[in-house]
Amino acid sequence: MHPILALLRKDFLHFRRNKAAVSLTFAVPFAMIWLFGWIFGVNRKDSGPSGIPLAVVDASGHAATAKLITALRAEKTFRIITEHPSALPKRPLAEADLRPLMEAPGAPFRFAVVLPADLVSHTRLGLHLIFLSNPRNEIETQTVNGILQKTIFSHVPELLGQSLQANAKRFLGEDTLRQFHRGIARTVASTFGGDADALERSMAAADFGFGAFTQPRDESLRRLDSPAADPNQKPEIKKKTSTADLFSQIVKFDTDQVVGAKVRSPMATSLVGGWAIQFLLFAVSASAASLFRERDAGIFQRLLAAPVTRAHILWSKFLYGVGLGLVQLVVLFVASSWLYGVEVLPHLPLLALVCVFAAAACTSFGMLIASISTSPEAASGLATFLIMFMSAIGGAWFPITFMPEFIQYFSKLTLVYWSMEGFSAVLWARQSLGQIFPILGLLGGITVVVMGTAIWRFNRGRIFG
Amino acid sequence: MLQLHSVTKRYGSLTALDGISLDVARGEFFGLLGPNGAGKSTLMSLIAGLRAPEAGTLTLDGLPLTSARSTARLALGLVPQHIALYPDLTAVENLRIFGELYGLRGADLHGRIDAALEAVQLADRARDQVKNFSGGMQRRLNLVAALLHRPKLLLCDEPTVGIDPQSRNAIFEYLERLNREGLTIIYSTHYMEEATRLCSRIGVIDHGKLLALGTLDELLTRLPFDEEILFPATPATTPLAAQLQPHGDLATSGGIVRFRPRPGYKLSAFYALTEAQALPPHLFTQQRPTLEAVFLHLTGRSLRDA
Ligand SMILES: Nc1ncnc2c1ncn2[C@@H]1O[C@H](COP(=O)(O)OP(=O)(O)OP(=O)(O)O)[C@@H](O)[C@H]1O
Ligand SMILES: [Mg+2]
Repeated sequence: MHPILALLRKDFLHFRRNKAAVSLTFAVPFAMIWLFGWIFGVNRKDSGPSGIPLAVVDASGHAATAKLITALRAEKTFRIITEHPSALPKRPLAEADLRPLMEAPGAPFRFAVVLPADLVSHTRLGLHLIFLSNPRNEIETQTVNGILQKTIFSHVPELLGQSLQANAKRFLGEDTLRQFHRGIARTVASTFGGDADALERSMAAADFGFGAFTQPRDESLRRLDSPAADPNQKPEIKKKTSTADLFSQIVKFDTDQVVGAKVRSPMATSLVGGWAIQFLLFAVSASAASLFRERDAGIFQRLLAAPVTRAHILWSKFLYGVGLGLVQLVVLFVASSWLYGVEVLPHLPLLALVCVFAAAACTSFGMLIASISTSPEAASGLATFLIMFMSAIGGAWFPITFMPEFIQYFSKLTLVYWSMEGFSAVLWARQSLGQIFPILGLLGGITVVVMGTAIWRFNRGRIFG
Repeated sequence: MLQLHSVTKRYGSLTALDGISLDVARGEFFGLLGPNGAGKSTLMSLIAGLRAPEAGTLTLDGLPLTSARSTARLALGLVPQHIALYPDLTAVENLRIFGELYGLRGADLHGRIDAALEAVQLADRARDQVKNFSGGMQRRLNLVAALLHRPKLLLCDEPTVGIDPQSRNAIFEYLERLNREGLTIIYSTHYMEEATRLCSRIGVIDHGKLLALGTLDELLTRLPFDEEILFPATPATTPLAAQLQPHGDLATSGGIVRFRPRPGYKLSAFYALTEAQALPPHLFTQQRPTLEAVFLHLTGRSLRDA
């Protein structure tokens, strides 16, 4: 037999003997593709962003805003918060609450809309809104902006009607205005048909039918709107932009970036945490796999015959993993500072602290994998799968709000999520030690639980057998 | 010093050790002789506390040798059958780690490392990576790595596999010296020559059972014969073998016939037969039986065939 074939056959034999490798070869790709589809809601109604917390403060006192808020609530993209999340007794959020809440560690929301007292201007035709954001993640922020504008713009006509109505009321007096509405309603009903009372009610509610601007048009109308349209052009898009243009002149959005406004290179700063944690997981789980090398070399026999316990061996590996991870993370962050201008050096001590805790959590994860695997092949297959899974649901690829809401609960069980929270708290939100303490506590807790499980498994597993 | 009482160890359905009882006294050079798969390494690992037995007790100086007792561990040194060293580290670095595990440090540790490397002729390779050592050099380092902390009991699991005769001799002399200085040694091997030369007492083990236990002389006197005659198995000697059949045990292995005469059989009768068949005397070797014969007698198999 040709040497290459003989050697190839050897590899297949080796593979076949290794049950874990065989099952992982088939199970991992299948599980992977299934999980990712599931995570991102492929072929499901609940795909797309969902449950992004959005605080809404209505200080306008306008009747029509209730509809707007209802419309926002109906968007599955948002989870609308109107009550103060922690104040007792419960009370509605006030504008003054927003900033402190958004700046606090573990902020309950990163986006807020204020409908201020001067929402509807009495002096000019237009609306005034305030948008507060912590644009920690670019994709998420853009999504929130887009959907918020869409929803608000579709209510502009009604709110404007209110504005007109309010002015009319002021000039004409309430009785005159009512008579005016009734007169018009009767005329319209007798000329065009319809129910005069219903018409009058809708006029009193300032619904003048402007809403049709934002409703989907039928083909003929669209052609009427743009008679000279080039057939190659996409009329739909043109239509939308023209409506948006119109409204963006009418609606005045005061935007206010609450967190991260001073960050020098926002994009790299918000992304680097996700890169770091994935890299760390791979690096550290590979170092845990060195346990297998030492087992295969029979060194554990010599060690365990000495006054050395299994726990000693495992904790030394753990500390080694943490040290290695820490050094690699610091290098990664310093590189991101040189290459992309992420401001690392001013925050280095706190960042290093988060790195220690993240490295500890990742190392314990690597140890757990090694403890439940029977061979290095099985360990690396399992690690690849779990790392990708955790990275996906933990938000290292996309903001977790892009996944179905129930998965977002699982996100918060992953060390990926909390490590990224930690990096972001330091680099993006520039929080203090006291503020990041809860995150460190969580990472520490994850480490203790995972490492405890790993040691328990090691004591029953085969690595020391 | 070391007591084993009815020790049984199983790997799944396989019984690797089957009710072993054994006493090793202080200062003994105890040999554990058995073929591949006899259970020697398993027994060593139980004594070293690496594994727990399913049944039976092991005590060292009256203290139970369970895997958790570290005081007893300080008194033990294990030379594993396989090279258990860090290949990327140098000889000195390896020894330092293993010394530190026993709480040694500083000048004391350095002194011991130098002495140990000297004793196994590795002083000139002290700063080479172990992976670049020859097989025999790795073996020698594997041995001294278990001695730095000066254990009271040394467990040597086939420490001379793959070693050339000179190095082997050096190791023997080193171990004999340590034994004279008071170290108790348990030495496993499947070489009867090693057991014969080194061991003051020998346990013969096969299929997890201790078949015999005693000094070399005690084991030999248990044989129902005290001489054996070896001759080549050739067509010329076939008739002789047939004629000897009623007078003792005949076993052929490796082209050699071993004849163990029944008690009372006169060797003069044997030589009368050879002369009658005109077989030249140089074909025949007469010897006192060896451990090989003991093993053959106990198991019906030759140690080398087992
Ligand atoms: N970890 C293990 N799992 C399962 N069976 C084992 C294990 N270790 C040893 N055995 C079996 O136990 C029996 C005794 O093995 P052991 O290694 O103690 O023999 P040994 O006398 O040291 O042999 P050798 O001279 O080849 O080193 C053998 O049948 C072996 O297959
Ligand atoms: Mg063995």
